[in-house]
Amino acid sequence: MFIVDYIKEVYGAVKSLLTGMNRTGYYFTHHKEIITQEYPDNKDTLVLSERFRGEVVMKHDENNEHACTGCTACELACPNATIKIITKFDVTPEGKKKKAIDTFVYHLELCTMCNLCVEACPTGAITMAQTFEHSVTDRSKLIKKLNQPGSKIREGVE
Amino acid sequence: MSASVIIFYIIAAFILGTGILAVTTRKIFRAAIWLLFSLIGIAGLYFLLEMNFIAAVQIVVYVGGIVVLIIFSIFLTQKSGKEMQKPILVRQLFSAVATVIGFALVWLLISHNSFATNSTSIVDVNVANIGTQLLSTGEHGFILPFELVSILLLAAMIGCIVIAMKTKQEQL
Amino acid sequence: MFSLEGITDAIYSWLNSTFNPTIALLIEFAIVVVCVIGLFAVLGLVLVFMERKVSAYMQIRLGPNRVGFKGSMQTMADTLKLVLKEGLVPDGADKFLFNLAPFVVMIVAMLILAPIPFARNFQMWDINIGVLYVTAVSSLSVIGILMAGWSSNNKYSLLGAMRSGAQIVSYELSAGLAVLSIVVLTGSLQLSDIVNSQQDGWWIFKGHIPAIISFVIFIIAVTAETNRAPFDLAEAESELTAGFHTEYSGMRFALFFLAEYVNIFIVCSIGAILFLGGWMPFHIGNWEAFNHVMDFIPSSVWFFGKVFFLIFLIMWFRWTFPRLRIDQLLNLEWKYLLPISMFNLLLMTLMAIMGWYF
Repeated sequence: MFIVDYIKEVYGAVKSLLTGMNRTGYYFTHHKEIITQEYPDNKDTLVLSERFRGEVVMKHDENNEHACTGCTACELACPNATIKIITKFDVTPEGKKKKAIDTFVYHLELCTMCNLCVEACPTGAITMAQTFEHSVTDRSKLIKKLNQPGSKIREGVE
Repeated sequence: MSASVIIFYIIAAFILGTGILAVTTRKIFRAAIWLLFSLIGIAGLYFLLEMNFIAAVQIVVYVGGIVVLIIFSIFLTQKSGKEMQKPILVRQLFSAVATVIGFALVWLLISHNSFATNSTSIVDVNVANIGTQLLSTGEHGFILPFELVSILLLAAMIGCIVIAMKTKQEQL
Repeated sequence: MFSLEGITDAIYSWLNSTFNPTIALLIEFAIVVVCVIGLFAVLGLVLVFMERKVSAYMQIRLGPNRVGFKGSMQTMADTLKLVLKEGLVPDGADKFLFNLAPFVVMIVAMLILAPIPFARNFQMWDINIGVLYVTAVSSLSVIGILMAGWSSNNKYSLLGAMRSGAQIVSYELSAGLAVLSIVVLTGSLQLSDIVNSQQDGWWIFKGHIPAIISFVIFIIAVTAETNRAPFDLAEAESELTAGFHTEYSGMRFALFFLAEYVNIFIVCSIGAILFLGGWMPFHIGNWEAFNHVMDFIPSSVWFFGKVFFLIFLIMWFRWTFPRLRIDQLLNLEWKYLLPISMFNLLLMTLMAIMGWYF
């Protein structure tokens, strides 16, 4: 019947509105739920989530060795040409030439933190770091060289 | 000259000034706004006379209703922001003549009939009295006009509904 | 005991004993104007801050918390910024109307303030058609909005103004009917009479369920009339880029912003007067002792407490509900609120005739 449907509709509407108001009213009275981070003040206690992606870094171990073979998979995977790998050829003791990286250039100003390079890397050489305070006074400072000076590829990584 | 007379002349000048602006401006939206101010001025005059009810009704009906309707229809027309072209000379002449004749008529009426000021019997015009008078069947009762107007409005409303009603599309 | 009535009486008698009546009257006018402008400024600062804090807590945020104690000076800083900003006028705008519109909106808000009783015997103008006056004058505020929207010469502004006009004109009906249902119970349009009729209990309690229904309808309708979310499709930031005040900047924008909050204050005080007894303390029937205890709280505190409670309620709506579409908005008014409030008014009239209220 029309009038019953009408009343039911009004009742349902009022009920759903009250449910919503109940939720916001709960948040209004429970201040411990607040999720705002007062950033510069809580710098020491700031906890970033595990999946937060700040910038691309190359992992180096204590012997200053990394796992990058210079395969350029990350360079190919990058959608906006953030990564530029300059390779060189090392001569192994056996006299064979072996491809290795000379410079891993990373343009932070172009990076969208999409994580595709990390997923593309076959050896797990690069990863996403949690640093996020990237502001500098000059744009050229955003072009980074990821492999540390004097570093070399770890033994056994092909 | 007492303060109320000064206020009366200020309001009257306001009404006349905005009225003249309403008919002389060449932008149609501005004409509506000047008309609005003129009507508000009339409401102010009613307030000055302490006829509060009629003043409020003036604002509700004319300002809140009719002028808003006019403004809406201006919005829906094209070229509402453009200046209108100047009326032709003949039309200007005729309207001037009509104004002069109208003014003369009003002047004649005012000068021939004197307004007797009787401050003795002031009608009590609170809303309750207006309401009972409006619905009374006795002497000076307004029940008949009231009902007539309501029938008229009902007819207008039904007419609107009939015009606006969608006919069901015939199934193909 | 502290009371606003005592202060006004003291000022009145001092003025009349010092100056001749005409000058005393003029000075009184000046004092009233200064007080109203001061009230507006304070209301703007307080309500904007309140809105920002309430919205923040409802969205699990902190809100402004840097300027002053817990951010309490934030609105002051914002006002200073707006005052110092340049007021731009668009090239194709109708400059006269563009400049006039914010003042029209503001003056209308000032006019509505006149018959509102803020405390016991503390009222600017006790006009005998109080409620009708308020409804009449508040219908003027739509003119300011239409003027602003049209004179900006911007399609978004015009669309916003037209939406706002349609919305205000249609919601005025149900707001008026809700107000009428209390007028039927009181038998008077005078606001002081309405407050005095709630001597032994507020209408929302005395009028049973119909009074509660008309209270709810009133709150919904005035939320729509003041163009606030969930009925803010006149200024819908995401679709119309702020609607009728898109082109306004600097102090003129501040006036619109202020007028919005002052209008909220006004409609909430009307709601408080009609349904919650205005400045009347919480009284229960014949409980003399209880009523006497309640009288110790000053009437102005009661009034502002109720008004701010209603304002909080409207803010609560704003930060909970999503915006309505224009067809939903008109459906709500014409298919739900209007029939319900008409039926409610009939019920209320029956109650008033039979005397079924306390």
